[in-house]
Amino acid sequence: MYKLTARQLNKHFLEGSLSAEAIVSYFLKRIEAFDPQVGSFLSLYKERALEKAGRLDQKRALGKPLGRLAGVPISIKDNIHVKGEITTCASKFLANYRAVFDATAVRLLEQEDAIILGKTNLDEFAMGSSTENSGLQKTFNPWNLSCVPGGSSGGSTAAVAARLSPISLGTDTGGSVRQPAAFCGIAGFKPTYGRVSRYGLVAYGSSLDQIGPIATSTEDIAMVMEVLGGHDPHDATTINAHPDEYLSILDSPIKGKVIGVPWKFLEDLPHEAKTLFVESLEVMKGLGCSIVNVDLNSLKYSVATYYIIATAEASTNLARFDGIRYGVRSSKAETLEQIYDYSRTEGFGREVKKRILLGTYVLSAGYQDAYYKQAAKVRVKIIDEFNVAFGHCDIIATPVSPFAAFQQGAIQDPLEMYLQDIYTIGVNLAYLPAISVPCGFNKEQKPFGLQFIGARREDVLVCRMAHAYEKATPFATEIPSIFNREA
Amino acid sequence: MCDLNEDNIKTLGKLCRIEIADEEVPGLVRDLKRVLEYVSQLGQADVSGLSPYSHMEEHGIGSLRNDEVGPCLSREAFLANAPDQVGGMIRVPIVIKQ
Repeated sequence: MYKLTARQLNKHFLEGSLSAEAIVSYFLKRIEAFDPQVGSFLSLYKERALEKAGRLDQKRALGKPLGRLAGVPISIKDNIHVKGEITTCASKFLANYRAVFDATAVRLLEQEDAIILGKTNLDEFAMGSSTENSGLQKTFNPWNLSCVPGGSSGGSTAAVAARLSPISLGTDTGGSVRQPAAFCGIAGFKPTYGRVSRYGLVAYGSSLDQIGPIATSTEDIAMVMEVLGGHDPHDATTINAHPDEYLSILDSPIKGKVIGVPWKFLEDLPHEAKTLFVESLEVMKGLGCSIVNVDLNSLKYSVATYYIIATAEASTNLARFDGIRYGVRSSKAETLEQIYDYSRTEGFGREVKKRILLGTYVLSAGYQDAYYKQAAKVRVKIIDEFNVAFGHCDIIATPVSPFAAFQQGAIQDPLEMYLQDIYTIGVNLAYLPAISVPCGFNKEQKPFGLQFIGARREDVLVCRMAHAYEKATPFATEIPSIFNREA
Repeated sequence: MCDLNEDNIKTLGKLCRIEIADEEVPGLVRDLKRVLEYVSQLGQADVSGLSPYSHMEEHGIGSLRNDEVGPCLSREAFLANAPDQVGGMIRVPIVIKQ
């Protein structure tokens, strides 16, 4: 059963060849057997999931209408609220925080009869590219357990790659869905900014954050996106339009599509990643696409721009964690000011503190123009450049990451870690949709990802291109050998 | 452009309510300076004629809902996560001293 996609599981459930209870029990058993090696889950909703499965089986038996995700088990990154359950953001600060409302994305999934298995690990408050910044536990890459899964949605991508959860919801602020999806050899989608409501997602960089699905196939991504997209009065930045239709047009031909490649921006691409990228372009040519060069040279500023804008927004967003209304209050504090100081100092991990300090610095009097305003202008320049590029092509292709998954603890220099996201960050700055699909392995059998970037609101085209590539190549069905067996 | 140093980092910490222990100072200053030096390359970007916030309206950032009372959390739900409470209110140490 672990080899089935979410769409196949849903079909089996609807046809009656698998009960929801059998599906849920099966995946819970896999998680119990394999997750001690992977470390992807922070919490498991065993009773809740089985209870929901029982209700679905009853509904089906009675012939009642079933939702579009009926019988599909899903895991949720632990910075997204599920009412009544703990949301930790992988931070000691929120170790006891119990969500008092559902995130809109979670509500939509459950309305369509998806079954939530539990919550997955992340870099604390989604700040990181390896999941090593989790304040709660380590997560390991299913392809090589000594390596990181990528981040910040590393728990979600590791769970999907090890076939512990057919689908997971992640969040992508600078590449946090796409980069770990590439490191774990699966698909991860970052929708257009505003396509999926952020209500109930604990904010990191509000102008960059976007919830996105992670799965083993683009068809599963499409299935989830048909449910997730849509306007939400609780999030003023959501696009005022109905969800897009994906599945019916996913297979429509891509012949004649023009793919833009920013060769100058990619000039430092390491050999291994470049070889696989060039091979991927050949596949697309074989499918009838043409390749043109596009100028996206301002993307060389994207990491610098991101680390000003994201940290500025983070320092503001994380000001709410004061130890007064929720979260862990320091037991040493005797005065009100000490509650703020001690609770934050004890509750936040090192990377979170660093980003709050950096954000406070770039917003402080005397520096705001030089840092924040300048970064905001460069962001506009990047947006303008993307707009011009999309005048010459339908879609843009780049690698997801310059390297494959690295060893745990191998990167200590913060800047080197930040540069992991050099090919993904521009997408968030420009509010665009993009996907990561598996595009092959290096000699050490570590997966790489191919990224398709669409113009704003061209989410469906992004998925169509990825789907065509996926069908033409054998990589999406590869499973890490140690998990390619029954529990 | 960057004048962050071992003497003023604790002041920066005070601005965002994060205490920095003496032993953390050198490592934090080193890491932050490295990032600040890297981001200072933005000064070289030609952004003449660009307005920093021109794109925000298009993406709904800054759009406001009507200021109307709507449903909100019950007192009970709100207090469920409070670290300390008394009589239906959040308890904090005495703020106004006699």
